[in-house]
Formats: sequence, structure tokens, C-alpha cells
Amino acid sequence: MSRRNLKKHFEILELDSDASLPEIKNAYVRLKKLYSTDSMVMTPIADEFSKKKRLEVLKQIEEAHAKLSDELKDEHQRSANLGKPGIASGNGTEGEEAESVSFSGEVLRKIREKKGIHLYEVALDTKIRVEILENIEHERFDVLPQEVYLKGHVSNYARYLLLDPRKVADDYISRYKDWKGEAKEKD
Amino acid sequence: MEKSSTEKEGKIWAIGGGKGGTGKTFITSAIGTYIAGKGKRVVLIDVDIGGANLHSFLGINRPKKSLTDFFETGASLSKLAVKTGIDNMSLISGDIHSLASDSIKFTQKLKLFRHIMKLNKNYVIIDLGGGSHNNTIDTFLMADKRVVILEPEITSVENMYHFIKNALFRKLRMSLREYGFKEIVEQMWERRQEYKIKSLRELMDHIRDSFSYVGDIIDKELSDFKLYLILNKIRSSDDILIGSSMKSIFKKYLCVDTRFVGFVEYDDSVWRSIRERRPFMLNYSLSRSAKEVEVFTENLLNGKEIKLSRS
Ligand SMILES: Nc1ncnc2c1ncn2[C@@H]1O[C@H](COP(=O)(O)OP(=O)(O)OP(=O)(O)O)[C@@H](O)[C@H]1O
Ligand SMILES: [Mg+2]
Repeated sequence: MSRRNLKKHFEILELDSDASLPEIKNAYVRLKKLYSTDSMVMTPIADEFSKKKRLEVLKQIEEAHAKLSDELKDEHQRSANLGKPGIASGNGTEGEEAESVSFSGEVLRKIREKKGIHLYEVALDTKIRVEILENIEHERFDVLPQEVYLKGHVSNYARYLLLDPRKVADDYISRYKDWKGEAKEKD
Repeated sequence: MEKSSTEKEGKIWAIGGGKGGTGKTFITSAIGTYIAGKGKRVVLIDVDIGGANLHSFLGINRPKKSLTDFFETGASLSKLAVKTGIDNMSLISGDIHSLASDSIKFTQKLKLFRHIMKLNKNYVIIDLGGGSHNNTIDTFLMADKRVVILEPEITSVENMYHFIKNALFRKLRMSLREYGFKEIVEQMWERRQEYKIKSLRELMDHIRDSFSYVGDIIDKELSDFKLYLILNKIRSSDDILIGSSMKSIFKKYLCVDTRFVGFVEYDDSVWRSIRERRPFMLNYSLSRSAKEVEVFTENLLNGKEIKLSRS
């Protein structure tokens, strides 16, 4: 089935119809939690938005998720097998990936995106400015802070992504040093 | 999803949302300052009943003229606009007690809107003030872009539902009346006990079931009733989720489409700028919160949302 025929299901999960499998999964988990618990946004309308109605919504969410993950599994497999450099195919667990990879800014960005986390969320929790995070991911070494600070930022960011902060910082700083070496040679 | 061009061009924006103190005035001033900085001609209109204080967020004195002059002596709007000290941006104050009463008739409000539309500006941004008074709701309904400001806090959430439900109810009633179904909404609502109708949603469903041809009108009204949501004063990234949750509930419960355009964190520089009598967006232009304002204003201009799941 093409993505267009699945439009209704994407709408139920409140996604654009080009959403990826991890995004579908995220939306599903989030909505399921929203409609099955009494959160701050639900209590004020608890009387009006009956349990019954909420169960109906939950059922639609379940169906949409089941349908979409089933239909898009093949598509996902195909693109995963094309093998993007740096990150292992979608089958491995995150831990496995982490060991085989050298952590560049690009890899950090991919891991973050795979987890469906926005840079703003990282910024708020780590207290690192968005621009710095962006520069880390793009390895704009010339505008990044000095090595000691940079190392601190990178390990904080790694910790936030549930990666080994030491390994990530070491990998990253060694790339930084390479760049610095090259920059010096040019002088 | 790409948004239609009419949405992009919406010129009159109303900033509301129910509860007092959520940051409507701050956000009106910040959006205006940013857009004016991009070289667009902007006028801010303060229609906050009795509590007009937009001028203090701009660091200027309370304007002497106000919309009262428009209603009472027929002064032209452009005569009422004062300079704000910011290039391209002027302010029309609404410090009017007459608006607080019901003495302003619907035809007068229509006249005001006609004049607002004729203003030679790229953007007109209206600070609605708090509450769900009919005047506030009518102004909200007449705007091209309806922006609501939410604080991650239960009373703010509660007030926002109340505000949106009132607005939707009024909109449905007015448009069904236009189509000649004068009393349907009122009658059903009055007999809601009998029909076991507990909510606006159930009322809509009930009308749809009883009069299928009216259903089409309701669906059209609902698809036109778009909201833009901004979260203000967030204190952690968990708070951002509240925006997505509200969006979801508006859709699944009230059938209303919402664009969650962005958020601003809680930042002491906001009140500090008021004390320093300097517009926040100029005074703290490099702060993270100023960047956040820029992000959602761009989204408002372009009819986009913040992408939380992808960068
Ligand atoms: N992001 C923010 N961080 C810190 N303080 C804020 C923020 N936004 C607004 N405030 C403060 O909260 C208070 C209320 O803001 P504001 O006057 O904009 O709210 P309002 O919704 O217009 O209120 P009212 O309904 O009374 O008109 C002000 O003192 C303002 O300085
Ligand atoms: Mg205000």
C-alpha cells in the first residue's frame, strides 16, 4: 500500500505522511500515554471527555500504529539496508551501535534524530545554548569554545543521549585536535 | 504539509487565550518588535479591557489617545496610532472603559474591523487581554490568525478550554444563523439535559445526527477555525509536551486544528526589560528566549509548526 492510502492513519497519529518509523513509534507512545492517563491537560475536561470517548480514541491510535508499522516495515528495511555510514542498520540495539562507531558531530546528530529529540529539548535540559549544540553537530570548530569547555559540552550532550560521555568526548576531541593540527600547518 | 498561501498572508493577528498573566502582552510586543525589525510595517492594538499595559512592554508612556476616541468621536485609527520608538511600529491604545461594558454594539465592532483592515500596514497585532468576554471573543473570531498563549499550569489550561469552547460555540451559532438555522444551537443547548448533551462536542455530534445538512456547515466552520498555540514560561523540556498534548486534544475532542508554533522559556529578563523601559527583543536580543520568540514568529509568518521530532 502506498503512503497516500495510509493518510487517515497518519492523521490519527498527528503526523505528516512522510513520517519515518521511529517517528510513528514516538507519536504512538506519546498519544497512548496522553489518552490513558489523567494528566494536567486532561483533568479540566475529565467530565466532558468521557472514558468511553477516550477509549475510542485509544483504539484508533492502536489501529493506526499497527497498520502503519506493518505497512512501512518493508520500506524501512530497504532504506536501512542501504547502510548509512557511521550508524548501523536499524536492526541493532543502540548499545551495539555505540561500540562500533567513532563519534563525530554527524553521528551525534543522527543518534539524536533517531531518538526524535529536538535540539531545543537538549538545550533546555543541558543548559548548553542551541547555537553551540548546532556547531558541535556541524563540527564548526572555528567558532566553538576552547577545548576544555568543548569537552564538557560534548560529554554533557553525550550523557543526555545516554551514550558513554568519556568515549564520545574522546572521539570528538580527537577530531577537534586533528582539525587544529591542520589549521596550524596552514599558518 | 505545505500551507496555503492565504494562511501565510493573514494580516490581522489576535493574541488571546483566556487566563490573565500568561504573557499575551509580552508576546504581542515581542512578535511586533521582531517583525518590524524585518522591515515590515506593524501596528499593535491594545484592546485589553481596563488593563491596557502594552506600552510598558515597549518602554513608552501611556498614549493619551485611545480607541475611545474612535468610538465616541469617530477619530480615524491612523490619528490614534502613536510612535513606539521602534522603526516601522506604532501602537493604538485601547484604554477604554466603554469596551468593557456591553455598550459597544456588534455593528460598531464590525466598523472597527473594517477600519483595521484598511490600515496601511503589513501586520496588525491585537493584544486581547484576558477573560472570555463576548467582546474579546468577537475580536478573536474576526482576526485572520488566532493565536493563543498557554502557561504550563492547570488554571491556564482550564481557562484556555473555556475560552476556545466559548469562541467555537459563538462561531457556530453565528454561522448557522447566517445560513438561516436561527435557533438550532440555542434550542439544543437549552434542552441539553433531555438530550444528555454534556459538552460542546456532544452538541455538535447531536446536531449533525439530527440534521445531516447542517453537518456540512459545521464541518466547514471547524475546518476554518484554526488555532496557533504558543507556550510561555516553560521551565523544563517536559513542559513542551503540554503544547503537543493540547494540540492533540483540541483535534480529537473539539475537532479543531491547531498549529503548535513554539515556546518561550521562563526568563527574568522579561520583567527586567519592563523595569529598564526597553523592549525585550532589543534589550536582550541575543538571549535564548529572544531566539525562541524568533522561531515561533517565523512559524506564524509561514504557517509552520515547530518540529519536535526532527530538526
Ligand atoms: N517568558 C516569561 N518569563 C518570565 N516572565 C514572563 C514571561 N512572560 C511574561 N512574563 C511576566 O509575566 C507577567 C504577565 O505577563 P503579561 O502582562 O504579558 O501577561 P498577560 O497575559 O498580558 O496578562 P493580562 O491577562 O493581565 O493582560 C509580566 O510581569 C511579565 O513580565
Ligand atoms: Mg496583558
